[in-house]
Amino acid sequence: MKINRNIIDPFVFFLVLGLLWEFSVELFDVRAYLLPSLTDIFRETWEFRELLLEQAMVTLEEVLFGFIFAAVFGVVISAAIFFVPIARRTIYPLIIGLQSIPKVALAPIIVVWFGYGLPSKVVMAFLFAFFPIVISTLGGLSATPDRLVEHFQALKTSGWNTFWKLRAPSALPNFVDGCKVAMPLAVIGAVVGEFVGSNDGLGNLIQTATGSAQTALMFSALLVVTGLSLILFFMIELLGRLVWWRAM
Amino acid sequence: MSTEEVTIALDGVGKTFGGEEGVRALQNISCQIFDREFVAVLGPSGCGKSTMLRIIGGLIPHEEGTATVLGKPVRGPSDDIGIVFQRANLLPWRTVEGNLRLGVEESNIPTEELREQVQTMVEMLGLTGFEKSHPHELSGGMRRRVAIGQALMRNPRVMLMDEPFGALDALTRDRLNVELLRIWQAERKTVVLVTHSISEAVFLSDRVLVMSERPGRIIEEVRIDLPRPRDPKTLPEVPEFGQYRVQLGELMGVV
Repeated sequence: MKINRNIIDPFVFFLVLGLLWEFSVELFDVRAYLLPSLTDIFRETWEFRELLLEQAMVTLEEVLFGFIFAAVFGVVISAAIFFVPIARRTIYPLIIGLQSIPKVALAPIIVVWFGYGLPSKVVMAFLFAFFPIVISTLGGLSATPDRLVEHFQALKTSGWNTFWKLRAPSALPNFVDGCKVAMPLAVIGAVVGEFVGSNDGLGNLIQTATGSAQTALMFSALLVVTGLSLILFFMIELLGRLVWWRAM
Repeated sequence: MSTEEVTIALDGVGKTFGGEEGVRALQNISCQIFDREFVAVLGPSGCGKSTMLRIIGGLIPHEEGTATVLGKPVRGPSDDIGIVFQRANLLPWRTVEGNLRLGVEESNIPTEELREQVQTMVEMLGLTGFEKSHPHELSGGMRRRVAIGQALMRNPRVMLMDEPFGALDALTRDRLNVELLRIWQAERKTVVLVTHSISEAVFLSDRVLVMSERPGRIIEEVRIDLPRPRDPKTLPEVPEFGQYRVQLGELMGVV
């Protein structure tokens, strides 16, 4: 049997790291509220599986709503910036400016404005995910080769059809790239929102568990957030395979 | 020839890119191209022959002179003109059929009829079996055929071709030239073909317009009186073929 180094190498590497963690905690007798052993974390995760799943669903909902709004709004805004000169001169610098504000610092006021529930987290996820989608989609729209635009002119294609048959499909791969960056950011946005003001969600669980010295549970929640982020990323990756082309 | 047979007429056309101080691309181009004629425009690289084609095709404006196609002044792209560019310019996400269809989708042809037209075109281009293939699955020569077919689908009266086989190997190029002649004879179009290959110009055309280096001017017009149909295997042995090549080579300063 042929050994696939692409699978074996990272597997062995992570196994060694895990064992190192496990035995360091034992060896140096680190107290559990500071750093629980890996087996403790796994045990805790299994024990609180229902709670974790429930909280994960809350966070997932916030992330998905925030991401979808960011994707839809991001595409509309980038199309506006690309096609409407006045939007390029006004909205574009506005977005660049807003992007430079540390969004974490906005979280408290967002909670004040939108309340403790779902909306404020959706807004946070949206804010984190929006920018990469706009920038990448804009790049995709501008990257349509001039010779293809000229070709469409020669075929007397209307502006509307040139958009749908040329510019939109050319920009799609870039849009998908933007989504790959935006999805994990949406998770971060939602968790930050939950940190600042929430009664639910994995971010809230991380905070309360840390506060009550349930460090193993905190790590469990962290594990679940990471898993959630990875699953969402790979879903985009899979969807992105439908967009296999790059404009030639 | 009588005036109604004139398909394309250029009269004193000049073009400068980038304003007054810019690059002078074309200088005082005047010529007439007649109905169903195959004319080659021959010139060195960068002499403005592509620019001339784009002006006729209505893709770029010109500051001086007049350009008329089928009696109408050129004001933007026209349904009477099909253009085949240097690159095949196929959409990678569309199949052969989809790319052939691209230029006629706005003309409201009934679906069934359009399907038949595409099928007929596929057969004429010799692409049967590749209808559902994407451009990256085709050879360079096949892509050029699709590009030509896409222009022909719009059934234009004039075909403008900008070194359509320039990037291909010599063998494929010869074969496509033969096919081009076959299509031209079957479809009875007026063809203007830009090329920098002397043998290609002689092999294909009724008339060759020779252009100078930039700024491009038409320095000579050579009528090619070789019998048709022309065969790439036997034509090079015809003495006149060699004479035309020498004559054009001298005009272009390569002999």
